[in-house]
Amino acid sequence: MNNQNKWFWIFLSPVILALGIVVVVPFVYGFVFSFTDWNGLTATSFVGFEHYLNLFQEEEFMSSIWFTVKFSIVTVILLNVFGLCLALIVTRKIKSNNLLRTVFFMPNLIGGLILGFIWQFIFISVFGDVGNLLGLEGMGGWLSTPETGFWGLVILTSWQMAGYIMIIYIAYLENIPKDLIEAARIDGASALQRFKSITFPLVAPAFTVSMFLTLSMAFKIYDQNLSLTNGGPFNSTQMVAMEIVRTAFSDNEMAYAQAKAVIFFLIVAVIALTQVYYNKKREVDM
Amino acid sequence: MKGKTIVSTLLISSALLSGCSFSSSEPSSSDGDKLTIEIFQGKVEFKDQFEALAEEYEKENPDVDIKITAVGGGSDYAGSLKTKFASGDEPEIFSIAGPTEAANFEQYLSDLSDTKAADLALEGSLDPVTKDGEVHGLPFNQEGYGFIYNKKVFKEAGIHSEDILTYEDLEKAVKEIDSQKDQLGLEAVFAFPAKEKWVPGNHLSNVFLASEFNQQVLEAYHAESVSFEKGKEFQRMVDLQTEYSVQPVLSLDYSQQVEEYFSLQKVAIIQQGNWIYPSVEQMDQEFAENNMGIMPIPVEGSEGKLPVGIPNYWAVNNNSDDEVIQASKDFLDWMYTSEVGKEAVLKDFKFIPAYEGFDTDGIADPLSKEIYTYSSNGDTTGWVLLGYPGVWGDYLGGNIQKYLSEKMTWDEVEEDSKQKWEELRK
Repeated sequence: MNNQNKWFWIFLSPVILALGIVVVVPFVYGFVFSFTDWNGLTATSFVGFEHYLNLFQEEEFMSSIWFTVKFSIVTVILLNVFGLCLALIVTRKIKSNNLLRTVFFMPNLIGGLILGFIWQFIFISVFGDVGNLLGLEGMGGWLSTPETGFWGLVILTSWQMAGYIMIIYIAYLENIPKDLIEAARIDGASALQRFKSITFPLVAPAFTVSMFLTLSMAFKIYDQNLSLTNGGPFNSTQMVAMEIVRTAFSDNEMAYAQAKAVIFFLIVAVIALTQVYYNKKREVDM
Repeated sequence: MKGKTIVSTLLISSALLSGCSFSSSEPSSSDGDKLTIEIFQGKVEFKDQFEALAEEYEKENPDVDIKITAVGGGSDYAGSLKTKFASGDEPEIFSIAGPTEAANFEQYLSDLSDTKAADLALEGSLDPVTKDGEVHGLPFNQEGYGFIYNKKVFKEAGIHSEDILTYEDLEKAVKEIDSQKDQLGLEAVFAFPAKEKWVPGNHLSNVFLASEFNQQVLEAYHAESVSFEKGKEFQRMVDLQTEYSVQPVLSLDYSQQVEEYFSLQKVAIIQQGNWIYPSVEQMDQEFAENNMGIMPIPVEGSEGKLPVGIPNYWAVNNNSDDEVIQASKDFLDWMYTSEVGKEAVLKDFKFIPAYEGFDTDGIADPLSKEIYTYSSNGDTTGWVLLGYPGVWGDYLGGNIQKYLSEKMTWDEVEEDSKQKWEELRK
């Protein structure tokens, strides 16, 4: 073993140790606890796969997964559409370019909890008052039905995250060689044709990045959910993360919640690994 | 060779890591001849006043050091308390809410029947935490709830709250106010926060279920099932409050109910308890002092009776030295029986005392005063909600939300909630 190798491990060890203590050990613990009757204080016996079998029978958990999937699909589409549109706007040659970029990115800097409360006010009071003023019935009663709760969450998340996705698209858009576009213009391609045949294919890699980023983001949302609807009405807008917290801390079924968390981990891990796989493949191709 | 290096580097780095923390560990129970009592409790509203009182006690008893931690209400508190016990950093005094929590911590509870406060506790107030003759907790205070109304609006509408005893009386009064709401400057009669599951699920359900359990928390706590004997009455009260409430009820929350609508006098009646007083006082002191009244929620068979109960108890950890346990008991005794303590409990904590020997003219706010009157006249019903199994109250609240959005019929609400109760009791 050479000297360099030794120093490698010496410098790495604090990180490995820290990672081990705060990530690996609790994870292994949690995994083991999901097979016991752990109540937060003590675990007395192993129950095997009982929790795992039960959770697939539980209506509430399954409906929260279904809700999260629906939510993720809709937000992923909307986020990418909005993100790309915003990016196209701010890469034009307009004067307020930098100002606009800052403004669009800003919602991303506000904490999710506070945003949730702000939007709660907008949906309930502002929407209600505007609806009364204009005589539009559909504007009243937001967040009091499962549908409006769902769309409320979608709007909040799209508004908050679109600026972040915009940044990714900007990076790709600015990398498109100017001469290609110029050549196309000389050949007489219209703006739409240029976008369809040149810009769009060249930002395609950004889609892969953004899609998986938004997908795993949408899956793990908790604070916006908590402050905007708190799962209500009747737990119909409860996402998986929130359902797990409830099971653990209000129903006090720690081990059962841990089993749900393991399932949740598997879902998110599959998404994340697919992303890594695709990105790697693309890198090799190019 | 390689393995050796890894081990040694790990050792070095762990030494480095541990070097930067844990250097200042607190002395745990006794510091020389000074006793430390750590208090962990779940009521944050009176934290500052409580600390001031503890300082007063430390002055009188220089050999005792009191440390107080308050953790915000609800599920948070139970979780944090569990964590504290699990990590071995056990508090000497902690608060527990009713028999369900007492059962969770049973192995840690000392017998408090030899304290002076236990002798003076109001009749029946110790029952929920008494087991095999051992008293496991001392009441914090009493709390009560019902319909809190705006006296001015009632007067202008020509309604006398004393006349409202039955559901029919209430319905008549509500319709009367509703017909004049434009002149009275109201948006609606009620603000019914159905978004908060505990408002219909715990508090409202309690008044209609209490008679099933003979008003006894413990009977509810031991009950295998629930039958909704007064289900129909319960249903029409939910309907009445919903129909005449600010809409939509399903997105209306507690703070809107109390602050936006009631304090600003946009509604006449809300279903809440004396705990809202400080919030209303902050919004409009004059209104809080003069125009708030409370009346019972009409239930057949217990007309004119208010649900009054004890939401929290003090418990003393039996897992410490006898000396410390005694000091903890002395402190609790001092708080509820000495002149200084009683004064603070009444005036600073704004508690409705659950003990004899208090000068009740000194009760600070009018709501508490009214509730105390009900309580001392014996016009009370029980708080069986503290004996509901686990999170059953919230579950029922969720079902009522489904009923209000027409996803369930009332019969289904009863049937499903009954099943859940039985399931949780297994």
